Amino acid sequence: MRYRYLLEQMVRRELRQKYKGSVLGIVWYVVNPLVLMGAYALMFGVLLDAVQIDDYPLFLIVGLIVWVFFSQSLLAAATSLLEQASLVGKVRFPRETVPASVVAVQLVTFLVLLGLALPVTVAVRGTLEPALLLLVPLVACLFAFTLGVALAVAVLHAYYRDVQPILAAALLPWFFLTPIFFRVQDLPGLDGRGWAEVLLRWVNPVAPFVEAVRDVVYAGAVPGGGTLLYVALASAAALLGGWALFRRLQGELAVVL
Amino acid sequence: MSVAAGEILLEGASRSFSVRADRGTTLKELALRRRGRGAAPVRALDGVSLRVAPGETVGIVGRNGAGKSSTLRVLAGIVPLHAGRVEVGGRVVSLLELGAGFGREFSGRENVELNGALHGLTREEVAARMDDVLAFSELGGFVDAPVKTYSAGMLVRLGFSIAAHLDADVLLIDEVLAVGDEGFQRKCLRRISQRIAAGATLVLVSHDPGAIERVCERVVVLDGGRKVFDGPVSDGLLEYHRLIGIEHGGGESVRSGPTVVEDVELLDEAGRARHVFRAGEPLRIALRLIEPPPSALELEVRDESGRSVFRTSTSPAGEAIVFEVERLALLGGDYDLVVGDRVVRFSVADEPGGEGVADLRGTWRAADLSETAPSSGGAAA
Repeated sequence: MRYRYLLEQMVRRELRQKYKGSVLGIVWYVVNPLVLMGAYALMFGVLLDAVQIDDYPLFLIVGLIVWVFFSQSLLAAATSLLEQASLVGKVRFPRETVPASVVAVQLVTFLVLLGLALPVTVAVRGTLEPALLLLVPLVACLFAFTLGVALAVAVLHAYYRDVQPILAAALLPWFFLTPIFFRVQDLPGLDGRGWAEVLLRWVNPVAPFVEAVRDVVYAGAVPGGGTLLYVALASAAALLGGWALFRRLQGELAVVL
Repeated sequence: MSVAAGEILLEGASRSFSVRADRGTTLKELALRRRGRGAAPVRALDGVSLRVAPGETVGIVGRNGAGKSSTLRVLAGIVPLHAGRVEVGGRVVSLLELGAGFGREFSGRENVELNGALHGLTREEVAARMDDVLAFSELGGFVDAPVKTYSAGMLVRLGFSIAAHLDADVLLIDEVLAVGDEGFQRKCLRRISQRIAAGATLVLVSHDPGAIERVCERVVVLDGGRKVFDGPVSDGLLEYHRLIGIEHGGGESVRSGPTVVEDVELLDEAGRARHVFRAGEPLRIALRLIEPPPSALELEVRDESGRSVFRTSTSPAGEAIVFEVERLALLGGDYDLVVGDRVVRFSVADEPGGEGVADLRGTWRAADLSETAPSSGGAAA
């Protein structure tokens, strides 16, 4: 890819600006999901005593880091083109690199968190399963999926300035409907409501990613074939669709920004 | 059909901008179908065709809103056309973007990498240019300090240094560079000349006829998004002056005082009225005075800062008089001719060879010993 060097430079700049070159910078991004994990573990695992899941905090953190990566990437990508408006209006370069670098920075945080969580889960289980190798294609798919949606969100927000606030408002209910602090099959209210299970499992495109990553990292198990297929297809569709939309709309970016 | 490096091709290029609707549209408005249909779009470019050969230097002039900047943005590939075709061969570098995209936390050196990457250079290409860029920028010890500690002048200097080392095939410049001090500006202009000598194409947009005449060999005059002239510089600038003359009196203004001069014209050798002259050219100032002519008339030339460069007076013999200048001994710049109550702004196009105000037309050569200033011993002998 001709612009790999550009992407690398932009990611470096984003990282620097985000973490301001300080160690505490990245620590904050690690602490944030940990605090969330603590709160949910306390509420659902202890006080409400609503879940019968072993090592519930670990179960939580794996889902949380997937969600945090996805949601933070979208929120940051939405405003990314606007923040680089002066650049977009003055220099000709592939504009995809702007949202892409933002998502790549989130990927760095994601990998740091994953790198912290993975040894703990392996140590707790006491076994090193070959299923862990699946993590590489899974993370690649998660990145492609998030990048695709981020490209669409970024270019749409450049045209319609209420995309980001609408997205921000949608992310909270979306979070609660995503199987992060529960397992879909454990939900007692699902009896006789097959449609709700379909909705939670398959209509929400983030759910299969959360479940697949959690199957591998938390349980050391190979995810179901349907889930894996869904993940592969969803990431390809999101990336192609998002990119096509971006290409289609990017010509006027210098004018609308 | 593709174009050669440095070649520019515009064919029936049209582009309009809507004044209102583009900015701040929301999904909510889209859903409620309240999208503003108010102001009609403005045609910034209206069927402009232009072909520039590699190595040409073209000036684009026109009034405000004539489409000059839009042309540059189209050539830079930043704004797409609505109709027509644009093709630019090779690497396009526009000097309107100096310092765009600098990371504030980054050092000068790191920003060179980032900016080079933005312009499509590879890691190796950036590394190969790094020392030259940093040396050119004259930033000294600051190259490793974060850019946020730089002064505005330092930022522009670094920005220009990067742009100057991109090996552009096409250079786009909007208005004359205001980069740092005079010395650095001259260095920039030299660097640009070098690129042109090496075969790069230059497109310069400017309101300053002097700058156009100094740099360009061809002028395109735009008006209302259309090309109204394309040809030699002196004719093009005449056309431009005719255009702006419609708006505000052709660079002339009136001072307070009794009217003694009815008309002033600056004529060249061929008797054509011009406002831009080459240093060393003959110049005729033709005056038509009131009847009866005043007993005394003063003529003065002032430089841009208002300093008097030359002053003379006469007692006019009739209502039509001419002040004949055999050789315009001024160097490049803008000057005001003040005659009676009239002020006429004119420009002198720069010829390399000196700086300052007056053109002494001296030449350098090796001297014989006998010509040198006598030493004390020689004087005694």
